[in-house]
Amino acid sequence: MTPGGLDEALVEAAQAGSTSAFARLVERHQQPLRAFLRRTCGDWAMADDLAQETFLTAWSRIDLLEAGASVRPWLCGIAYNKHLSALRSAGRERSRERDWEAGKSPSSGAMSDERLTLETAMAGLPPDQRACVALCLAADFSHAEAAQALGLPLGTVKSHVTRGRARLLQVLGGSDDGR
Amino acid sequence: MTDADDRLKALFAMDEPPARDPAFSASVMADIARRRFLMDVAMLSGVSILGALVLWAAWPALAPLLSTLGRGLSPVMASLTLAATAVILLEGRVTSATALKHD
Repeated sequence: MTPGGLDEALVEAAQAGSTSAFARLVERHQQPLRAFLRRTCGDWAMADDLAQETFLTAWSRIDLLEAGASVRPWLCGIAYNKHLSALRSAGRERSRERDWEAGKSPSSGAMSDERLTLETAMAGLPPDQRACVALCLAADFSHAEAAQALGLPLGTVKSHVTRGRARLLQVLGGSDDGR
Repeated sequence: MTDADDRLKALFAMDEPPARDPAFSASVMADIARRRFLMDVAMLSGVSILGALVLWAAWPALAPLLSTLGRGLSPVMASLTLAATAVILLEGRVTSATALKHD
């Protein structure tokens, strides 16, 4: 069975009320979802909290997922909205900024200089641009998939990816030899 | 894909969580079980409260009806209860006797 076909079967079973099918979906998608949130939030603990909330919301809305729809973009869309809500919450935003400033991200200890530079550069991008970069450059989403997941126009996603990529390469000291 | 993209991808790959994380998955499923339990409790409470309200509102009309029905049905109910008790007791004896025979 193809990964997409397996997802479809699991979604169908979860929609029929199977908790174990939903548990399989969590197992299959926790890694890409958490990676997306880590890149988008910068704060790993917050990313894992948001990933957990995302799966809870997905469980309560699984009936709304249409047959044949991809699970990953759907989950990333929910996660992105949760991230935006968290950003709007003033307390969390302040604590996130404190973490950035103090360099106390849980990942920072084990990071190479280059990786740390990338993370700092990502933090400097606007949230929309960061999410587009996280999906298209890091997670191999097509522009169309990212646009669908984030609820943004296709043109906006393309320009966010181009600008974000250029900015990251500039900070990392690389040449923009591609697009 | 260019070298620059490969380089970015390699750097991004450093913050990938593990492919299998039983602790995270278990934590999510525990949250879901908790949410499900709370929803069940809320639904049962709602149904109970609704039932109690309906009973309270309909009690003036129901009370005389139940009283009449009760008077008419009590001999039948008493006979049925006696019959059920006898069946249960006799069945217990028969089962015990059969078990003793087999021993």
